[in-house]
Amino acid sequence: MSIRALLIDDERLARVELRKLLMDFPSIEVVEEAANVAEALDKIDQLKPDLIFLDIQMPGKTGFDLLAELDRSPQVIFTTAHHEYALKAFEVNALDYLMKPIDPVRLADAIQKVQQLEAARIGNGEGEVLPNGVLSENDQVFVKDGDRCWFVKLNEIRFFESVGNYARVFFGNNKPMILKSLNALEDRLDSKLFFRTNRKHIVNLRMIEKIEPYFNGGLLLELKGGDKIEVSRRQTLRFKEMMSL
Amino acid sequence: MINLLQSRERLYWLLQISGWILFGALTVLFANVFNVQLAPGVLEGRILIFCLIGFLLTHLTRLAIKRLGLLQLPLEKAWPGILISVLVCNGLYAWFTILTLEYFNLFLTPEAYSLSFFQKWLAIFLDNGLFILSWLLLYFFFHYYYDNRQRQLDTLKLESAVRELELKTLKAHINPHFIFNSLNSIRALVDLNPERARRAITELSNLLRSSMQTEKSQLVPLRQEMDIIRDYLALESIRFENRLRVELDIAEDTLDLPVPPMMVQTLVENAIKHGISTSMDGGWVRIYSFKREGAHVLEVANSGYLNSAVITAGFGLSSTQNRLQILFGTPARLFIRQQEKDVVLCSVTIPFQ
Repeated sequence: MSIRALLIDDERLARVELRKLLMDFPSIEVVEEAANVAEALDKIDQLKPDLIFLDIQMPGKTGFDLLAELDRSPQVIFTTAHHEYALKAFEVNALDYLMKPIDPVRLADAIQKVQQLEAARIGNGEGEVLPNGVLSENDQVFVKDGDRCWFVKLNEIRFFESVGNYARVFFGNNKPMILKSLNALEDRLDSKLFFRTNRKHIVNLRMIEKIEPYFNGGLLLELKGGDKIEVSRRQTLRFKEMMSL
Repeated sequence: MINLLQSRERLYWLLQISGWILFGALTVLFANVFNVQLAPGVLEGRILIFCLIGFLLTHLTRLAIKRLGLLQLPLEKAWPGILISVLVCNGLYAWFTILTLEYFNLFLTPEAYSLSFFQKWLAIFLDNGLFILSWLLLYFFFHYYYDNRQRQLDTLKLESAVRELELKTLKAHINPHFIFNSLNSIRALVDLNPERARRAITELSNLLRSSMQTEKSQLVPLRQEMDIIRDYLALESIRFENRLRVELDIAEDTLDLPVPPMMVQTLVENAIKHGISTSMDGGWVRIYSFKREGAHVLEVANSGYLNSAVITAGFGLSSTQNRLQILFGTPARLFIRQQEKDVVLCSVTIPFQ
C-alpha cells in the first residue's frame, strides 16, 4: 500500500525538486501540492494524506501554525533551509526534518522511518478512522505553546485540564496550553479512552493507577505520575458503568 | 608577567635598601649640621638600630599586606586595613626600638631613662612614626598608581579589540538561508532550464565572492554594489518567480560614489524578507540612488507594513547604521518608516566627503 503525501512549500521550484526526488520512491504517492498554509489546510481536509512534506517558513503563516490548526496531524517531514527551526521542532518525536537542498540519502532514511511507522500502525489494526472525526489513541496531535512544539500521541496524554477557555495538556514532564476548550476536546476524543471526570478535567483511562472513594459518593483517581483527580458525584455513576464493561 | 613581577620585586629591593640608607645618611647629616654632641658610638648605634629595625619591620609589613591581599581591594574597602597596618607597624617599631635602645644603653639624655615605658613608646611612635607612615603611604600610593595605570591600559586594549571585532561582525554577510534556498532552486532548474541554471550558478558565485571580499575593502563604488544587487535580485526572482517585482532607478552620476560593500544588498534583502516573503501575493522592491543637498541618497522601498519587531530585531538595520557611523561619522544616517499606507521606505544619506 502506498503512502499518500502532500507537498507544502511556497516555492514552486522547491516542490518540483522534491517531486523529482520522490520519483525514486514508488511507495510514496504525491497526491497534491500546496503553496501556503490556507491551501494546505484545505487539501489536508479533502485528501487526508498519510504524510506531509512541510516547509517551515512560508508567507503569512508558518508550517508550525499549520500543524497547530490541525486536529489530527498526519506524519510530518519538515523541509527547511534553516538550521534553527530544526531544533525547535524536535521537543517530541516529530518524524524527521530535511535540510534543503535535500540529500537523497537522508530522504531515503526519513521515508523508511515513515514506512515502518505506517506498517506498525496497520499491523496494530489502527489507523481506521473513527466516525465523526473522533481521534483514536494512536493519532498524534501537534501542540504549540509559545516557541515550543510537541508531537504527542493521544495515548501519551495523562489528562487535560480546563483553564478558562483553553486547556492544558499533561504529558511527560510538559503541560503546554492549547487554544481549545475542554468541551470542544471532549467531542473529538474517543470516549472509550478519555473520560470527563468533572467540570475541569478529562482523564486518559489507561493512565489510572488507583481508584478511591471520595466525599459525597464521588471518586478520587490517582494517575501514573501521581496526579490526583476527582470524579464528581454526577459522573461517578457513568464511570462505574464504563469500568464494569 | 613573570618578567614584570621580577622587575617589580627588584624595584622594591632597590627602593627599600636605598631608602633606608638615605634615611641613615640624612640623620648623620642633620646631626652634623646641628652639631649634636654625643658620646662616641651613640649616634652610629642609634642610626643602625633605627634603620635596621625599620628595614625589617617595613619588610614584614609588606609581607603581611601581600598575604592579606590588601592591594587587590579597591581603595574604599582597603583603607581600614591600611590604617591598621600603619598603626600596628608604627607601634611595633616604637616598641622594638625602645627595647633595643635600652638593651644597648643608647638613649640621648639621662632624663630619658626616668620616663615610663609608655612615654618613651609614645615619643618614638610620634617622632619616628612619621617615617614609617611615609614609607607605607609611598608603598600604597605606588601600588595604586601603578595598578590603576595598568588597569586603564588593559581597558583601552580591550576596548579597541571589541571595536575591531564589532566592525568585523557589522560587515554584512549573506544569509545562509538564502544560499541554501537558492541552491535548492538551482538544482530544480538543472533539469527544467539548464541555461538558466548555469546563469544562476554564475550569479550565486559572484554574490558569494563579493560577500567574502567585504573583509578587504571598506568602501566600493556604487556601480560594483549594483552589479551584486542585480545578481542577488536575479536569484531571488528564481525563488519567488512572479511574486517579486523589481524596479531600479539609479542616477548615472551616483555610480562612482563610494558605499560600504554589501550595504544596499542588506537593505534589499531586508525589504524582501519582511515585505515580500511574508505576503502570499508577493510584492515589489524599488531601489533609488540620487544626489540631494550635498549628499548621496540611497533608498530602498518595498510593499508591505512596517512592523516594530523588524526595527528592533532587524540586526541588518542596526548594524548598517553602526557601520555608517563608523565610516562616515554622524552626518551619515539611516531611517526606516512607513511611507504610505502600504509602502515601507528605508533611506540612507551619505554626505559627500
